[in-house]
Amino acid sequence: MVFLREALGQARLRVAGLAALLALVSLTVQADEPVGTLGIVGSDTMAGLMLRWGEQLGERHPGIRLQLQTSGSSSAPPALVAGTTRLGPMSRPMSEEERRAFEQRHGYAPVEVEVARDALAIIVHRHHALEALRLEQVDAIFSRTRHCGAENALARWEQLAGAGLTGRIELHGRNPASGSYELFRQRALCGGDYLSRLNEHPGSAAIVAAVTESREAIGYAGLNHLNPGVKPLALEDAEGNRVLPGAEQVRQGAYPLSRALFLYANLPPGQVLSGPERALLELILSPEGQRTVGELGFVALAEADLAFQRERLGLDVSPP
Amino acid sequence: MIVAVLAIGVFLVLEVLPALLGGVFDPARIRLELTPMAWGTLKAALWAMLFAIPLALGAAIHSALFMSQRLRSRMKPTLEMMEALPGVVIGFVAGLVLAPWVERHLAGSLALLLVLPLGVLLAAAIWRRLPAVWRRHFSLSRAGLWLVPWLMLLVFATFSLAPGLEALLFDGSLRNWLDRELGLDYATRNAMIVGLAMGFAVMPSVYALAEDALSGVPSRLGEGAQALGATRWQTLWRVVLPAAAPGIFAAMMIGTGRAVGETMIVLMASGNTALMSLSPFEGMRTMAAGIAVELPEAVPGSEAYLLLILAALLLFLFTFLVNTLAEVVRSRLRRRYRWLDGAP
Amino acid sequence: MKVARTKRRPIRSEGPWAWLAAGSVALSLLMLGGLLLLIATRGLGHFWPAMVAQVEMADGRLLAGRAVRELPLEQSAGRERLYFTANRDLDGQAWHWLPVNDIVASETPQDLIVLERRRHGEFIGRLVALGDAESVREQQAREATWERLQARLATLQELRGERERLRREVLRPLIRRLDADPSDAQARQALAEANDRVRVLQEAMRGEVALLENVDGRRLVQPLEEVLRAWRPNAMSTVEKLGIWGRGVWRFLAEGPRDGNAAGGVWPAIFGTVLMVLLMSLLVTPFGVLAAIYLNEVAHQGRLTHLVRIAVRNLAGVPSIVYGVFGLGVFVYGIGGSLDEWFFNDALPSPTFGTGGLLWASLTLALLTLPVVIVATEEGLARIPVQQREGALALGATRLETLTRVVLPMAVPAMLTGVILAIARAAGEVAPLLLVGVAKLAPQVPVDGEFPFLHLERKFMHLGYHIYDTAFHGNDVQAAMPLVYATALLLVLVVLVLNLTAIFLRHYFRARHGVQPRP
Repeated sequence: MVFLREALGQARLRVAGLAALLALVSLTVQADEPVGTLGIVGSDTMAGLMLRWGEQLGERHPGIRLQLQTSGSSSAPPALVAGTTRLGPMSRPMSEEERRAFEQRHGYAPVEVEVARDALAIIVHRHHALEALRLEQVDAIFSRTRHCGAENALARWEQLAGAGLTGRIELHGRNPASGSYELFRQRALCGGDYLSRLNEHPGSAAIVAAVTESREAIGYAGLNHLNPGVKPLALEDAEGNRVLPGAEQVRQGAYPLSRALFLYANLPPGQVLSGPERALLELILSPEGQRTVGELGFVALAEADLAFQRERLGLDVSPP
Repeated sequence: MIVAVLAIGVFLVLEVLPALLGGVFDPARIRLELTPMAWGTLKAALWAMLFAIPLALGAAIHSALFMSQRLRSRMKPTLEMMEALPGVVIGFVAGLVLAPWVERHLAGSLALLLVLPLGVLLAAAIWRRLPAVWRRHFSLSRAGLWLVPWLMLLVFATFSLAPGLEALLFDGSLRNWLDRELGLDYATRNAMIVGLAMGFAVMPSVYALAEDALSGVPSRLGEGAQALGATRWQTLWRVVLPAAAPGIFAAMMIGTGRAVGETMIVLMASGNTALMSLSPFEGMRTMAAGIAVELPEAVPGSEAYLLLILAALLLFLFTFLVNTLAEVVRSRLRRRYRWLDGAP
Repeated sequence: MKVARTKRRPIRSEGPWAWLAAGSVALSLLMLGGLLLLIATRGLGHFWPAMVAQVEMADGRLLAGRAVRELPLEQSAGRERLYFTANRDLDGQAWHWLPVNDIVASETPQDLIVLERRRHGEFIGRLVALGDAESVREQQAREATWERLQARLATLQELRGERERLRREVLRPLIRRLDADPSDAQARQALAEANDRVRVLQEAMRGEVALLENVDGRRLVQPLEEVLRAWRPNAMSTVEKLGIWGRGVWRFLAEGPRDGNAAGGVWPAIFGTVLMVLLMSLLVTPFGVLAAIYLNEVAHQGRLTHLVRIAVRNLAGVPSIVYGVFGLGVFVYGIGGSLDEWFFNDALPSPTFGTGGLLWASLTLALLTLPVVIVATEEGLARIPVQQREGALALGATRLETLTRVVLPMAVPAMLTGVILAIARAAGEVAPLLLVGVAKLAPQVPVDGEFPFLHLERKFMHLGYHIYDTAFHGNDVQAAMPLVYATALLLVLVVLVLNLTAIFLRHYFRARHGVQPRP
């Protein structure tokens, strides 16, 4: 403690204005200060998000430490089931099987907290004339099965009115192990199969980089990866309404390729959250925590959703 | 040591064999997933070797037979340094820098294939017209060095002239012309880029082995031929090269083995398209890259996992065969040199 | 010898092929040089405080930023230029592609400042005023405000360091004590006190804000607490810029990554790489050297040793990814899984050793580099003149004495060469690590104050993987590119220096013993 006082003393000497401040802050000890280590196991998409929340939590409550292990969404359910962690971030909802395993072991359902939203944008080169695509056109471009109802495959840009470009369409997507690959397959290809011409990149940034450089390219990437080198396309429904993958559209669920990011908690019914867990969730569902979501390129939740979740978890309705 | 080699093989076989015998694998799935990967692996290696072999052999011949001893002792470590460049760096430059650049300057890049050799020959022709003092100064034994600025000039000139020529000959875009006239599709990440990058990575090891083989040929043979009036090139072609041929073959084999197993370059520059074509302008997927991306996510024991292990086994067997072959050839060669040198 | 002959003989045509061979040497050198030059200029150039241009567009828009690259426009004549305009919080994006033809005027005003911030990336614009959030409105004297800002930032930097130290040295140990024994009242009391100290520090850092204005006049209130550094690139002399550049390089080496690896430094990756490589060399050296000694000195030189040699060379040719598969299957799932079952049963099914980690990565790479060490050591042993051994034996030394007193000391440089080559190989190898244990972001380095101090089961960061990950998985690939170049340069330098050391050692060894290569 001695060096601490010395250090503080030095700081005080250095900053003239600080002395006044120090006098203002009371040094009373708070007994209910949350203390402890939070072990978190789960999604790597959300690694950056969890890390930033961890930093902020450390500033609010210096006594809490976050221990992150982010090896993928699939690693969260087993850890929750076994009880090695009580919080598991996942970039997809738990599957039926995973849910059942949890209930079998603990006798109750896991608490699902939606913490942010994300979406896959379909992107083309920034100078591309194309503005929007219908989902069955996307399917006709990317898949060989065309389950979404398109008549013919679209292999060349001149087959698309409004593309203003000739040449073969160059396809860019993710590798099969990723969540984006599966999400796009389910929602945009109606569960069909990709064409073998697809460039399967090991990361979304690589897709954006490829599309930035090539006019004939089309690809898909998470919202947080977009930059002005590429143009996100709007999706058109049967009536001709266009929906861009903007924050508002994703938040309302109007954009078809959006998904929610979750935090699963192991909370027996009737019990309250422990101090550190409560502090983390309070932060995440607070305006500050949601600002972080936006900063990292994801989409923050609507105020109503936030209030609903805060109430459900028994958190303060209006956090600091 | 044998234990370690065996351990790897045994482990791979043990993992895969029960599944193969037990019929876990669906033949259709193997055909769908493994065949394009095997094809892509060989295709990538083929294009890499197409690029690496002429370059490596040329460099080996030049440094073994034409360079001065001093220059050679500097040149060898420099080229060996190339071998040390991490694959991930080469892959990054190839995939994110070179590939888009070549796409934008396609005509110029293809023209280089023609311009560079012709340019070197032009330099040779000019050299013969030079006064003797100059000729001695710019001798052939040092050509490896003084040709560098010349080549730089050629590259620069090619890329300045290419857009004009492209407009004149191919209506402004070679890529569109290829597509329209020949029906060739140009993908940004393609076999040409992978071949170039991986050729660059493989070339030093082929060079080092080939150079060893060439300089290991007993000097009496070459000197005898030269004494009889052969030029150095004739000596090389008729005497040294045939003597060193097995060693050069071994060098190519080992190079192929490396090209087949190289992971990061292919992963970052090939686009991972499961296509089965030979076109240099289309991408491919290789076994090594497939394993690197998919295996960490695959559940142990699942079909996908076993399929990838099977791919690893194939890789192992292939490189094992190739390397053993090369090693046997090399040890034969060493014996032959001793015999030619008059040793018992 | 050959030079002399060339000079004496009348010059004769060598034919085109000889020239093409020379050309291929030149081409290889050109490619090598080009690659190194590209990485070096892009990697080092990133830290240079480049001039910030204020650009006026034909439609009246005003922008300020650094020009990054320029491309020809395909549809129309002309070119377009990419500017890094920062101010992500004001504009929603930090990049602008501008058609060069539409740029009316471009100048570099002296008063443009660049702020490096902890959130939203950089800011480019002008400083209006400094003060607390309620009172700042008016434009204050430029120069005086700038100096106050610099002084204030220096103070904040010290406070931040102070807080970090408190966290590391006081809070963490206390939390660990409380984790172990939640009823420790003394620790709880100490923790609460320390917490308050941290709060005080934080309060001291808060409060003051800077009123900023971007070039088109939009204003922004920026809490100073979030500002890390500020500079005025257009008003700096070359010497000052060099200073900033040097500090930038240092921070790159010494700090951890920020913004999902798109900013900050690579210290944890350097640390992880070095630690992994050290562990690996600890594992590989004894095995490699012993095997080489056995092969060369002890074993009967017959068919079997010949086979073993072939096997060793073969091992060197097996693709690294296959080693990775082996490591994953045998070390991680096999041995690691069993270890978990025996010792970490309470943590299952969440794996402790049954997942990729430092130990498994080191082991896999040790296996991968074993042949390198064996081959180099054996070569060194074979080069030792047979007279040395015979002399020792003739003087009455036993075989063991000859080996330990004469042969081994002479072979030390060769062993060193082998180990260094192995390290160089391992430092650049990424493919097997994808399978056995690197992490994108390991917030905890594998060494810390927690028992047992070295955490072999933890994942770690690695320079090579960092390149791959930042270039392929980062959020803003455009922003991350310079860092990727810088990391690539660092990795290449490390590997090249190691290789040069090995070459030098080999050379020295050959010169000292004056032995010709074995035929």
